[in-house]
Amino acid sequence: MKKKMNILIKKSVLCFLMLFMLSGCLGGREINDLEIVIGMGVDKDENTENILVTAQIVKVGEIEKTSGSSGGGPENKAFWNVSHTGNSIFEAVRQITHKTGNRLFVSHNQAVIFGKDIALEDVQKYIDFFLRAHEMRPTALILIAENRASDVMDAKPETEILPAMNIAKLVKAYGFTSHFYKVNVKDFASCIMSATSAPIAPIVGISKDNGSKDIYVSGMAVFKNAKMVGELNQLETRGLLWVLGEVKSGVILVPSPNRQGNAVLEILKTRSKVTPEINNGKIVMNIKIKMESSLSEQTTTENLATIPAFEEIQKALEEIIRQEIMTAFDKSRELNADIFGFGEILHKKYNNVWKTIKDDWDEVYPTIKLNIEVEARIQKTDLLKKPATSNKKGK
Amino acid sequence: MFGYILKKIRYSALKRKNMSHDTATDKNYNEPLLPDLEKNLDVIKSILRDSSDVTVHEFNFGHDRRYKGALVFIDNMVDKEEIHKNILKPLMYDVLLLKKDVDMDFTKIDIIRKNLISVMDSQKVTLLADLLDSLLTGTTILLVDGSKEALAVNLRKWEARSIEEPGTEAVVRGPREGFNENANVSIALIRRKIKDPDLCIEKLKIGMRTKTDVYIVYLKSVANPKLIEEIRNRIGRIKIDAILESGYIEQFIEDAPYSIFPTVSNSEKPDKVVAKILEGRAAIVVDGTPFVLIVPMLFIESFQSGEDYYARPFLASIMRIIRFLSFIISTLGPAFYVALTVFHQELIPTQLLISIAAGRERVPFPAILEAGLMLFTFDVLREAGVRLPKPVGQTIGIVGALVLGQASVEAGLISPIMVIVVSSTAIASFAVPAQTDSGTILRYIYLGLAGIAGGFGVIMGLLATLLHLSSLRSFGVPYLWPVVPFNLSGIKDVFIRMPVWTMQKRPSVIIWDNIDSIRQSPGLMPSPYKEDKDDSK
Repeated sequence: MKKKMNILIKKSVLCFLMLFMLSGCLGGREINDLEIVIGMGVDKDENTENILVTAQIVKVGEIEKTSGSSGGGPENKAFWNVSHTGNSIFEAVRQITHKTGNRLFVSHNQAVIFGKDIALEDVQKYIDFFLRAHEMRPTALILIAENRASDVMDAKPETEILPAMNIAKLVKAYGFTSHFYKVNVKDFASCIMSATSAPIAPIVGISKDNGSKDIYVSGMAVFKNAKMVGELNQLETRGLLWVLGEVKSGVILVPSPNRQGNAVLEILKTRSKVTPEINNGKIVMNIKIKMESSLSEQTTTENLATIPAFEEIQKALEEIIRQEIMTAFDKSRELNADIFGFGEILHKKYNNVWKTIKDDWDEVYPTIKLNIEVEARIQKTDLLKKPATSNKKGK
Repeated sequence: MFGYILKKIRYSALKRKNMSHDTATDKNYNEPLLPDLEKNLDVIKSILRDSSDVTVHEFNFGHDRRYKGALVFIDNMVDKEEIHKNILKPLMYDVLLLKKDVDMDFTKIDIIRKNLISVMDSQKVTLLADLLDSLLTGTTILLVDGSKEALAVNLRKWEARSIEEPGTEAVVRGPREGFNENANVSIALIRRKIKDPDLCIEKLKIGMRTKTDVYIVYLKSVANPKLIEEIRNRIGRIKIDAILESGYIEQFIEDAPYSIFPTVSNSEKPDKVVAKILEGRAAIVVDGTPFVLIVPMLFIESFQSGEDYYARPFLASIMRIIRFLSFIISTLGPAFYVALTVFHQELIPTQLLISIAAGRERVPFPAILEAGLMLFTFDVLREAGVRLPKPVGQTIGIVGALVLGQASVEAGLISPIMVIVVSSTAIASFAVPAQTDSGTILRYIYLGLAGIAGGFGVIMGLLATLLHLSSLRSFGVPYLWPVVPFNLSGIKDVFIRMPVWTMQKRPSVIIWDNIDSIRQSPGLMPSPYKEDKDDSK
């Protein structure tokens, strides 16, 4: 009896030990042996038809110095942009190890930046690696360089130590203005996979004012069939975001009732609802926008914190939002790219109709009518109840 | 391999047992005392081999000094003053106050005891073995020529520690007295708290040479009789020459001798022991140590402190949760760090990863070795700090802090984050004193597993620990009760400490189906005075 027990125990211990062999994570790597990649750029090589992959690697030793002593030398960069050409991205990435000596560790990649030439050619060919590699995160941001990706990654920011981190931070801060939008690899890919939706991605460029090189987001690139077909400017982008319900915050200028100045409103809360409708074969999109705002600044002496003034401003506000949406829609009609994802919305509600029109969506899309209803409200006037002017003038 | 060694040990133990059995029979002085004083004294002296601390005082007493007597006692264990006042003086002088014609035969011990000696605590002994037993425990022996009996008079007195605050279980609020080495004092401390006739104190003598007093203390109407029977059996089968501390008993009666988790708890504090006795547990008081054993033990008891019940429930609950977290940190901290930095770097936030990498840049060792070295150094420091005299211990602390903390980081041997991980682990390990032993062992096991297989290894280790914990029992009580098996009434005192007035029943798993399971009447929640609605009508 006891012997049997012993054998049982031995067997179970053996089984337990065998579990360790089953695991796929036996390959531990010391942190010292990692080259932490925080940004990757993909360009076309200028001379050949090859791909030029640029990886931004953190120089951890320099990080310690630059953060330790505030006045680190300007030539001591904390990052290392290492690039190599190759026939495919993966090949180029492996070629980079010739220069680094260690395998690239891409899990912490913050941003994938495509050069404009790549975007104009076909992103679909190049995004595959970023979706397939198991270390890659689908939450890495996707960006289009105004020109070449490697240039964008070279611009050393003033406050941040690492350019890629800086770019990711910039894009993630879209909520303050809602003038552009953050798109990650996963969102981008799912748009590509849809039959109708057109993916968008922010465009980053370098502004060369006053000699310093600053990175900024200039607009949104619009793709159709994974090829870049056009751009949205800041207001058009916000028009798009109103419909998507992704306007987080932002500033809207409304002329004051007496036309002497502006009421500056901060967007506090927005909600959108899109319901498709088919009337006699005509597709109408009912878009309902609800927004709340606060009066954050006024450039007139008139007291705007009165009910009639509020009503007038709200009416003007609604009109402005409607205009923004319409310009965005006009632009998308012009490019014939379904950036709003109306196709998918239609698919969900009118599956049968959608089946008949999905093949010639390009013809159907420009005929869509929008029925926009905006309900804008001013909730508060922040700290002031009336402007800081002498009473005489106001009365 | 392990089994082979065990077999060897068992075999040699058996051999030795047979040997000691032989010698033990030699010493059975089961012979009666002789009516001859001289012969008795010779026998005693020869047995004790004329030890220098054994004092024999021979004297004559009675009216005409015709009786011969002798006092045998061990120096420094008796109160000589009292002997003089209460034994010698009555026998030699007070006897003269009796009328001469009173016919008393002072060769009869009973007559001496009833008429002359003014000590309450005295016993007749007839066997040599009993005489030696009492003599060696500090009793004074009165031998009278012509009597087959001797009188053992209890006038013990020796230097003992007073009741002090225990060093291991200091409290902010709560009684500060602690048990001490004298079991009688310890028992008195318990008795003083429970003034209930149900409180039973059973005395046993364990240890062939030390003859240590061991007491089982329990409440008769509350404790499960089967539990008491089991304790009696387990203690009864101990055949050992010496019991020097309650740890000896613990190791002979515990349920899982091969487990790293203790299944017998101990305490130095009477209030804690009494609270557990009132829950239906039994305390085992051992003479010679302030540590009282309490059985059965639940895992959750390690996380409870006496102060939890004296403080109001809110802070007590928070402290309880902090203790749980501390235990998790202290066992899993280094393992978690190694698993993350060696296997799962993608789980670390980018900024943190960069600063960890920056800190580790010059470190020549793999993370597992780094962590192992640091933990080892910490354990060495702790051990050295405990053993060293206090003034030197402080020096060790300073050296340790400098060596551990600063110098090794500056020399580039250890990364600064590892210092943080190990020191927080070290601090956290002291938050749950009852599980320090198991925590220390688990920490190294998990660290090894993390080094081999990363997070997967840690999870496997955790699962194995959990399986083991749930298979443990202490005196028939599931170790993880009331979580596994689940008990709603018991859970009130696990993760949070509910107010005292909600804990109406004693833990059901300990008292079983005892009728006396209610410890307070229901509805005792305090509320402001309200006039009865019936009265106002």
